[in-house]
Amino acid sequence: MANRLVRAARFGRPLSEGDIVLRTTTVALTLATAYIHATLGGLLFTLNALGYVVGAAALIVPIGVAAHYRWLVRIGLAGYAATSIAAWVIQPTYYSTAYLAKAIELALIAVLAIDFIRRDGNPIDRIRHEMSQGSVS
Amino acid sequence: MNRLLSTALITTAIVALAACSAASGAGTAKPSIDPNALTISAKDLKFSTSTLSALAGKPFQIAFDNQDSAPHNVAIYRDSSAAGKVFGSDPFSGPAVVRYDVPPLAPGSYFFRCDVHPAMSGELTVN
Repeated sequence: MANRLVRAARFGRPLSEGDIVLRTTTVALTLATAYIHATLGGLLFTLNALGYVVGAAALIVPIGVAAHYRWLVRIGLAGYAATSIAAWVIQPTYYSTAYLAKAIELALIAVLAIDFIRRDGNPIDRIRHEMSQGSVS
Repeated sequence: MNRLLSTALITTAIVALAACSAASGAGTAKPSIDPNALTISAKDLKFSTSTLSALAGKPFQIAFDNQDSAPHNVAIYRDSSAAGKVFGSDPFSGPAVVRYDVPPLAPGSYFFRCDVHPAMSGELTVN
């Protein structure tokens, strides 16, 4: 019970300056890779860019539900970036813009992981906590 | 903490500028092009032709006119598996014309495509 209260307090704590720096960096990296994909043309790249923009918005939008599920957005965005990298590995195009986009996506995953650990700790513990609260079924 | 914040913001600005400049593409200076060069253009994510032909054993030029803002290139492969690249250069954003100097090729049928948009493809016949 005490452990659960500690976790709840940790998950709900206000943003520190470090959190704000991480969040700003995450949004900037997300929008940078969104911009690159948006310039590539074609439906797939455009949808990919749109997904990144939605992810960036979900990270900062000041709505209660979004704020509560920010941990899930972080996991989702990291998975999205990893999928984008995997798609490039399967069908690579070797040129400077592609390398830059993949480097940004790798940096994005790293920053998201740091942010997650700082805000939420162990992902498994976080999911368990949410399930115990009944917010994930 | 202020130093950390400044570093993060500067890094962010650098990343954003790099993303913008990398995506803005090549220059628009027109290269000198052989009148006998093969010509192909890209518009609305489509090549103007799906067939090209060249003489075997002689170097040749391809004048590639990218009319899209999206980056394209013309890369030549041994076959449609796109495993063995025979010729290729970096994709560039249009509108711009680029001259490719292709080395001599052995007779046969080759596959060409845009590496960024693999659905844009065709056949190069060398004989």
